[in-house]
Amino acid sequence: MLTKMLAQLGIEEERVRLDWVSASEGERFASIVNEMTEQIRELGPFNRNNGGDHG
Amino acid sequence: MAKLKLGLYWAASCGGCDVAVLDVNEKILDVAEMADIVFWPIALDFKYHHVEAMPDKDIDICLFNGAVRSSEQESIAKLLRAKSKTMVAFGSCACFGGIPALANFATRADIMERAYIEAPSNDNPDKVLPQIKTQVAEGELELPELYDTVLTLAQVVDVEYFVPGCPPPVPLILKVVEAIATNNLPPPGAVIASDKTLCDECDRKKEEKKISKIYRPHEIDPDPERCLLEQGILCMGPATRGGCGALCINVNMPCRGCFGPPAGVIDQGAKMVSAVASIYQANGEEDIAQMVRDIVDPAGTFYRFGLSDSMLKRKRLQRR
Amino acid sequence: MRKVTIDPITRLEGHGKIEIFLNDDGDVANAYLQIPELRGFEKFCEGRPVEEVPRIVPRICGV
Repeated sequence: MLTKMLAQLGIEEERVRLDWVSASEGERFASIVNEMTEQIRELGPFNRNNGGDHG
Repeated sequence: MAKLKLGLYWAASCGGCDVAVLDVNEKILDVAEMADIVFWPIALDFKYHHVEAMPDKDIDICLFNGAVRSSEQESIAKLLRAKSKTMVAFGSCACFGGIPALANFATRADIMERAYIEAPSNDNPDKVLPQIKTQVAEGELELPELYDTVLTLAQVVDVEYFVPGCPPPVPLILKVVEAIATNNLPPPGAVIASDKTLCDECDRKKEEKKISKIYRPHEIDPDPERCLLEQGILCMGPATRGGCGALCINVNMPCRGCFGPPAGVIDQGAKMVSAVASIYQANGEEDIAQMVRDIVDPAGTFYRFGLSDSMLKRKRLQRR
Repeated sequence: MRKVTIDPITRLEGHGKIEIFLNDDGDVANAYLQIPELRGFEKFCEGRPVEEVPRIVPRICGV
């Protein structure tokens, strides 16, 4: 529901991720964060206003 | 006691808030007894130059309705702020952006093109668009600049009080008038409504918040005694401030959030996403997918009156 | 030409401005009505569920 709503607001669904990691899954946590970081880097900064006025 | 000086103005507005003030009917005479209205375009013939000529802080209370989406609306908001001791954001548009804030799903260019060129009833073969400056034979004409983004009043000037509602219901307006007359206003920054959600005010029977299907309001015949959300109809009650008397609920229509977020909630839409997700009973991916399909317009429903006031404020702007 | 501006026009619903140009005799050479507002209902109703439109468009005019 959130990704559908964010899409209406112009936010790509790749900028949001839902995952479950337990406290004992340290390596898995690290790899998910690294993946997400790379994904966001490829998407580039989120410019909400892009030079529009009064945004 | 000297009469209070009262000013009212409308920015990107429909006039409903001004009519709501008139809807106090004979009590308008009580208002006239305690205040001199020095500016009110719907009812009185004062001009902008009258306001410009006033000393600063001459107006005691200014009830400003309508959202801000043009250079003229912003400059009048700033003018009235300078001339007024107290600014009140009156109505959902001034408080949260209101219905005009739905334009934040689009840009100025989108709106102008649709309104003046694309719309089927237009007769505009030369595709003429309004310009900020236009030369005519006799001289030059000026129009204000339309902004891409609709803003709330507080996003443009300091605001002391917020009176929500589309329009604010008459009992609430009378409460505000009473507070002004007896000099009994709450501390600045207050929203003059309830501090609880609409659910608290709503008389319907609430049993168990568990739904497995979401219906559009016309798809079922809802039981008038039971909570609408429990029957699967999206009702913004849990994410909306109370104080309206549950007017819409009492005519079997689900709340659409015109009183804005409840106290302590920063983003009304996010709150509603959270509320719906927490009551939905899904057995697997397909149930979830069906729920998402059944919520046909999440952003437009959960931010119906509050897009300007939301954390994101607008859809990501893509300039053409 | 001398210009007389009436701003805002009052006692109706909506925003308007009238510019009147006077010639040297003080007679009206021309007058222009301008509407300095646009909210964009024609655009932002697109994409809204049809059953919600009757709850949105009454906000075109509250009078």
